[in-house]
Formats: sequence, structure tokens, C-alpha cells
Amino acid sequence: METNTPVIKIKNLTRRYGKLDAVNGLTLTVRAGRCYGFFGRNGAGKTTTIKCLLNLLRPSDGTVRVFGLDPQRNEVAVKSRLAYVPDMVAFYPWMTVRDTLEYLASFRKHWNGDIEADLLKRFQLDPKQKTSHLSKGQRTQLALIGAICPEPELLVLDEPTSGLDPIVRREFIETVIGAYQSGDPGSRTVFVSTHLISEFEGLIDEFTIIEQGRELLTMEADAARDRFRKIRARFAQSPAQLDLADALNVKQNGREVEILADGNSEQLLEKLRALQPEDLRCESLSLEEIFVASGVLKKAKT
Amino acid sequence: MIFQVDFKSGKPVYLQLVDQIRYAAAAGALRSGEPLPSIRPLAEELRVNRNTIAKAYAELEGQGVIETIPGKGCFLKKSDSPFNKPVRQKLLAAEIDEAVVMAHHLQVDREKFLALVKERLDYFERKSDAKKND
Repeated sequence: METNTPVIKIKNLTRRYGKLDAVNGLTLTVRAGRCYGFFGRNGAGKTTTIKCLLNLLRPSDGTVRVFGLDPQRNEVAVKSRLAYVPDMVAFYPWMTVRDTLEYLASFRKHWNGDIEADLLKRFQLDPKQKTSHLSKGQRTQLALIGAICPEPELLVLDEPTSGLDPIVRREFIETVIGAYQSGDPGSRTVFVSTHLISEFEGLIDEFTIIEQGRELLTMEADAARDRFRKIRARFAQSPAQLDLADALNVKQNGREVEILADGNSEQLLEKLRALQPEDLRCESLSLEEIFVASGVLKKAKT
Repeated sequence: MIFQVDFKSGKPVYLQLVDQIRYAAAAGALRSGEPLPSIRPLAEELRVNRNTIAKAYAELEGQGVIETIPGKGCFLKKSDSPFNKPVRQKLLAAEIDEAVVMAHHLQVDREKFLALVKERLDYFERKSDAKKND
């Protein structure tokens, strides 16, 4: 089949709101079967990008392809193969949970009733409840059921867990892993935008950090954790002169030094060992810490 | 068996799982013929991508530690290593080197290091004996 066609291909995407470039020349590719993280601060352009994928916004410039198709021209073909969970979920308030799911199913060719029953039970949602009486967490759960039951090839999640309590967040992610990913792994792609990165850490294969509408960093998660490391050293006496110009960041507090390494942790460790520290530790940065550190990276680039 | 994943260890998650399963096999926590957890519940429990677990199992299968029986799942193989003796020793030497370097930096001397190796060997032998005698 079209296994070689990337599920998402964005090239030089630009979207302007008046004079403001919300997205400014963004390029990224998501291959089938991957879980792709899309990280950025508030206002970095994440939601604008996602809206361009779904033809909720038209790009000002550049191209967007989903399953190799143009979402503007082939809107139905694209949308029938994906599902979307936004951060703010809205349903018709007069409908019950049951009505809402039937309504959503009526737009779909395929609807897995077993998954629906499973998830309703798991989330303890009452099918007879009116959607206007649901909490924010329950609304998100209902939206997730609506997104997973059609078993789409692409699941687009835009800040899906913000504003939810930790237990609901955990269940949400377990559901994405369990119920969604358990199908044919080659055709279950997740594109998730979030700033609650630590929760999705284990799920993310590859990610892009976007900053002011531009791509700042795109990497495989394992490679990123290998490249960015934090080294902590403690010396017997406050070291007089540390030559660590090639470190990404150096923080010194008396006898203790904390260093951020960008792919050169071995050399830096070697330098520090020569100074005979009392204690020397090295750990990987989590994706969340890499995201925070990417601010430093930006300064280093300019 | 209970797995633990640490994103800060610098080791890819799938390799952490590979090591933990090999460790469990060496320590007798997992015996030959025993099943490994299936992919989906383990992925949900650890909240990691299913592909990560699948990759770990594929790696273990490549190393000859486990075997997949279609429709039944993954099982620990008999501990006949598929590697011949020199290869096995070379693999082991690389691991020992790391420990030696570590010992040097922690200022653990030769005698203490050797004593520690003996102690660890005893520990594992006791553990697997105790399992056998269950």
C-alpha cells in the first residue's frame, strides 16, 4: 500500500494573522506508525499548524499533505482517515453520551463497538448522562472514545491532557497506548501537541520543538536523550578556572558545578575527571528538560 | 516480573528492558519456558510506546534469549547461548571493562573489586538455587 507515503508532510508552512506570522516556514514529516510529539510554548504556532492539517485554516504559504493528499482539495478523504481531539471539547448539550457517540459514528464508515463498550466501562461514563452535565475530564474521555472507535490511521491530539487531573491524564495516555495502538501498528500514527511532555515521554518516538512559528529542533527521542546530558561535579575546593566553553550551559555554585552537554558529554567528563572531583554524575535530560533547555540552544544558535 | 523504566539513565528504553529481562533470566526470576508479559498490557503499565516493547522483544529474540511462538507470545529460551565460547567471553569482557573503569574512578582497589565480584556471584547462585528448591 502507501506505506512509504508520510502520514503528514509539511513544507515551508506559513500562516499569517494580519502582520503576525504565527507559523513561519515550518517543515516536518511524520512517518506511518510513529508517535510524533509537537512541542512548543504557548503561542508558538502548534494549534495553527494543526488547524492547517485539518483544513480549519488555509495556509498563507507552503504546502501541507496528509496521507499524501491536500486537505483543502480532498477534505473528506483526509478527514475520514483521521480523528482529532482538541484541548477544548464541545458537544451538543442536549444530547446524552449515547446520542453523541451515535451521532459521531454516523459520520464514519467504520465504528468499533467493542472498543466503545470497553472504554465507556473503563471511564465509568453513563450513556444516559447529558453531555452538558459532564465534567471537563469526562468530556475529554468522551472525545477520546469518539476518536478511537473509528480506528483512524492518524490520531491528532492538541493539548489533550491540559486541565485534567493526574489520574484522568494517566488513563488518557494508557488508552492511547492500549486501545488505539493495539491495532495494526503500521497504520496507527499519533501526532500530539503538548507542553505536558513528561506524561508522553515514553510514547514519543520523534519530536519537533517549535518556537515562534519556526522549527527549533527535530530529533528521535532516544537520540535526543543520548545527545543532551546533565553533568554534576563536586570538588574538594572551589575550582579556580574551569575551561568549559564548549558546554551548552554551566552553572557553578561554590564547589558544585552543573553542566549541560550537547553531544560532547564524554569530552566534558574527561576534562572534569582530570580535576579529580569528589563526585561526578552524568544523566540524560528528559524530553521535558530538553524542551526547557532548547531556550539555551536558541541563544547558542544566534 | 516487574519492570522499571528510567528516561534519565541515558540508555534507550528498549535496551533497559532487554537488560532487565536478561538480568531476570540470570537471577532465576524468569525461568526457561516461562512466558514474558504480552506487549499491550506491559506498554500500558509502563506508559511507553508499544513499538518500544516490540523492539526490546525483537532484540532479545535476535540474541537468542527468548523465542516467539505465534499466537502464544514470547517465552524465555533454555540458557544455551547461541554464541560460541570466545564470542561469549569477549562480550563479557566488554562489560567487565566498564566495571573496572568505574572501580578505578571510585577508588576501589583490586582486592576489594575481586571480593565484590565473588560476592555478587554468590548472591546470584544463592538466588537461583533458592528458586530451584521452591
